[in-house]
Amino acid sequence: MTELNINGTQSTPAIQGDWLAGVLAMQGDSYPENSFELFGQVIDWVERFLHEATRPLALELRLLYLNTSSIKALMDILDLLEEAHRKGQPVSVNWHYDSRNERVAELAEEFREDCSFPFAILPYSE
Amino acid sequence: METYDLLAMRENYNRQRIMLCFNGPISRSLIEEIGNALRNYLTAEQAQPSAAMDVFAVYIEMTQNIRHYATRMNYAESDAAATVAISRDEQGRYVVAAGNLVEREDGRQLVEWVESLAPLDKAQLKAAYKEQLRKPRSGESASGAGLGLLDIARKSSVPLLASLSEQAEGRAFFSLRAVI
Repeated sequence: MTELNINGTQSTPAIQGDWLAGVLAMQGDSYPENSFELFGQVIDWVERFLHEATRPLALELRLLYLNTSSIKALMDILDLLEEAHRKGQPVSVNWHYDSRNERVAELAEEFREDCSFPFAILPYSE
Repeated sequence: METYDLLAMRENYNRQRIMLCFNGPISRSLIEEIGNALRNYLTAEQAQPSAAMDVFAVYIEMTQNIRHYATRMNYAESDAAATVAISRDEQGRYVVAAGNLVEREDGRQLVEWVESLAPLDKAQLKAAYKEQLRKPRSGESASGAGLGLLDIARKSSVPLLASLSEQAEGRAFFSLRAVI
């Protein structure tokens, strides 16, 4: 199985990993008590992709609120991307946020500070 | 049998402008349900999206810290309880407060740690937060609450207020208050 498809709940995001397209998408809030029950498999998927595939990997995020446990997990994922980027593999992040909620842009910005690969923070209005 | 004076409780809550409060054993699903109620309340009050998100975030970090602590200490269900209150102060700012039973020594360390954050400005809090974020999970402070507390401190518009009241059997009631 190379596809990843996790349904979202009130406190966990919906997650889709498209192996062929090289796209990992996540939408929603993330505040589970134990984020590693959820993100462990996502981290594995990203590790495997970056190890086995040579094509680009793009993260398409529409994440809203993240608790600190989820922030730590997402940081681990972005660290993997950073490592791949330094080895020359093309990686990117597009983080889409509702323009009415600047907190999400600030959160994305704090992640971007530690990344040297292309990382876009894109407002949308409904 | 003692009867509860619900009216006195209600008047007390109203006087303190408490919009939502909870006392008792707290489960994972209860945290979510109260969180929902809180979000609905904030929407109904037409709070700014950023303020609503900060209040919700502080509530989640406080209650999850309490759950993590009780789990780590193998507390019985009745000891894994929390007292939570969300209110507004005279200036209309949101106040999130939560308390729980802890081992006395852990409580002392927590209070000391929270007090050590008080003189830090936003930039220093951010630096401390980023440093904590990079620490391995096993390397967290004795309380295990480091990252969550720093996140709460960053969202609070005034320094966090922590207090400790000694209780029986080597325990103490730790309470924490943040103002958004």
